[in-house]
Amino acid sequence: MKQIIFVFLYLLAFKSFSQYNPLWIPDTISGVNFNLTVKDTFKQLRSGNQTITGAVNNSSFWGPTLIMTKGDTVHMNVTNKLNDSTTIHWHGMHLPAVMDGGPHQVIPPNTNWQPYWKVTNSASTLWYHPHLHEMTEEHLGKGIGGFIIIRDAAEAALALPRSYGVDDLPIVLTSRRYDASNQFVVANTAYGDYMLTNGTPNAQVSLPKQYVRMRILNAETERGYDLGFSDNRTFYIIGNDGGLLSAPVAVTRVKLMVGERVEIMVNLGNDAVGSSLDLKAYNSGQAFGFPGGEPNSTGQFGSLLNNVDFSVLHINVASPTANPITVLPSSLVFNVYWSASDATVTRNIAITNGNPGPASVPFNFDNTSFAINTINKTVQLNAIEKWTVTNNQVFGHTFHIHDVQFKIVARNGSAAAVGSHESGWKDVMYVPKGENVSFVAKFEDYADAIHPFMYHCHFANHEDGGMMGQFVVKDSSSANGIEPLNNEVDFMLYPNPAQSKLFVKFSDENASAYYIKVVDMAGRTLLMLPRPQLHEGIDITGLTPGIYTIQLTDEKTKSVTVRKFVKE
Amino acid sequence: MEKISLLFRFIILFSVYAFSGNNSQPVSHTGNVVSDFTLQNVNGKMVSTKDYKDAKGFVVIFSCIHCPFGKLYHERLIRLNATYSKLHVPLLLVNSTDTAMFAEESMKNMVALVKEKKYDFPFLFDPSQKVAKDFKAEKTPHAFVIWKENNKWVIKYSGAIDDNGAHPEWVKKPYVTNALDELLAGKKVSVEEGQSIGCAIHYRK
Repeated sequence: MKQIIFVFLYLLAFKSFSQYNPLWIPDTISGVNFNLTVKDTFKQLRSGNQTITGAVNNSSFWGPTLIMTKGDTVHMNVTNKLNDSTTIHWHGMHLPAVMDGGPHQVIPPNTNWQPYWKVTNSASTLWYHPHLHEMTEEHLGKGIGGFIIIRDAAEAALALPRSYGVDDLPIVLTSRRYDASNQFVVANTAYGDYMLTNGTPNAQVSLPKQYVRMRILNAETERGYDLGFSDNRTFYIIGNDGGLLSAPVAVTRVKLMVGERVEIMVNLGNDAVGSSLDLKAYNSGQAFGFPGGEPNSTGQFGSLLNNVDFSVLHINVASPTANPITVLPSSLVFNVYWSASDATVTRNIAITNGNPGPASVPFNFDNTSFAINTINKTVQLNAIEKWTVTNNQVFGHTFHIHDVQFKIVARNGSAAAVGSHESGWKDVMYVPKGENVSFVAKFEDYADAIHPFMYHCHFANHEDGGMMGQFVVKDSSSANGIEPLNNEVDFMLYPNPAQSKLFVKFSDENASAYYIKVVDMAGRTLLMLPRPQLHEGIDITGLTPGIYTIQLTDEKTKSVTVRKFVKE
Repeated sequence: MEKISLLFRFIILFSVYAFSGNNSQPVSHTGNVVSDFTLQNVNGKMVSTKDYKDAKGFVVIFSCIHCPFGKLYHERLIRLNATYSKLHVPLLLVNSTDTAMFAEESMKNMVALVKEKKYDFPFLFDPSQKVAKDFKAEKTPHAFVIWKENNKWVIKYSGAIDDNGAHPEWVKKPYVTNALDELLAGKKVSVEEGQSIGCAIHYRK
């Protein structure tokens, strides 16, 4: 009898293990040069046919984690091999607008884009994802995106888990709905029905019996996650979107909304090897307006995962590593945050429209839907501004601003109402139904009178629908403004014909290029080079022999001059 | 502002291509009549549906060079033609993918592909996308079975070639061969319309 029970229990355990799939951990790329190829591909997510997905480099959903170091100048080499134009936005990164990868930096198929910038962000978890207007939901829905981990000396000095994939885990949360052919249903679908954790259905991972660190990202279309562990244990928030907190914050739940990242530490040191627990979404019973709390299980705003509690990651506890972190640091990094009184400019943004009904205008800001040629706000370089976003509409949203990290200074006018879990630097904030949220940010370092940054709801369907605006950071004090001249800028290309490198020589030695595009005779753009560093020439080895044009935009005047060259 | 208007033109050009119409209602293909067509083959010669005097029907598959899902089907295309061309249902493979957007979709690369994969059926070039528009082809690969009825070509099947791209050994529903076997037996096609799976065919306006 005992043997029968033993066999029964063994088979039961085997079955429960076999229902899980090993969590995919993204590859990493480190250093200063990052080659990314964005491509169409497919993945076996369900039994039967494969699902068409999008990915970066060698993966079949999502892309490699980019590890950068504060202070380095990083060079990105992004090639679009999708069957579609796209953009790649470096979410949370402080950089020049022309390198930002927003809707203006469209990369057509087979085009190579080479932005670069100095990393000034503090140690944090950022991410990269598509941002083509009206196509963001579809492209992000395919699975295109990836983590960026910034390292710095202050974080390195702390005794924190830092072995990538071992005790320091990137976890991207999203969900998908499938059609009868196993293809993603993204259009008119706010919520997926099945969880994908790092692109893995029913994911499980082995983690060591010690403190482990999780960098969790919500890359959904709309769903928020009210995260906690299956035994309701306490865990510790150590970082928000833009960096480490001043000290860990103990919680049993944290709401992670679309676009946000949270870094947590959880202690598995008291768990038995071989035991299991789950990271869960406690999404049942949320107040109306919580994205993913709607009661429907089907339809545009329904889902099998709506208004229920569900596992997002099954964790099996394994033996500790050789150098485990066994103590939670009592303090983290020294942060000096802005306060409301630092702001010299205040702005109010109202979330408007989006009311249900056939003739309704989609959600937008201040009754104005996104127009790519309209600059909604002009911010002065080095200004410290307080923005208040007010939501008197039917549903919660997340608000994201490019270029800066901000400090949330008030919820509904009260500093005390700002949660300790969101007390750090952030670039995305949750604006629940019926609330207003204020943040303060300094717009420093980068001014560009004509190339804007974005602010938008990070629900991809809302931003595609026009819930987005643009701001330029202007330096009124210097010659950053455009000097209108009718003359073309004078430069020569040499050698011409060229085989591997093409050099640009300006007649005016103080001239420089704001942008260079290399275009073939059929009008296809092959290279997009923002503010190229021309002293080493332009690498044209990848071009097939033929005639090309250089379209050079001058930094000072922003006039465009076109010259031809021959690639041999 | 000049820079923005330049980019705006850029974006209009490619966003029009990029929007693959996922939000639109599903298009119905079966029952539609399509015209005879004449396109250039990789051997330089023109090939017309009218050349096949004995054809009861055709398998017309829209595919291209760069799409990763289309690349899974080379062997199955050869088998389809081997089985059914002798039953008077030849295979015609058509490339209607926009060459302005995708430089690799050239006749030169089509010739190289046919040589490498040893296709023994026509691989036809449709650079004006006229034939694809007539069929309302959506993705690559998109398979059609057309059948002669009252001297017209009527679409009897439209959709995927089968139900498994990467694993031919797992195919449970070989949609095209099932449709062909039913038509050749004088029966109605049981699964007439399905979803093509792969890369969107972007149509020039």
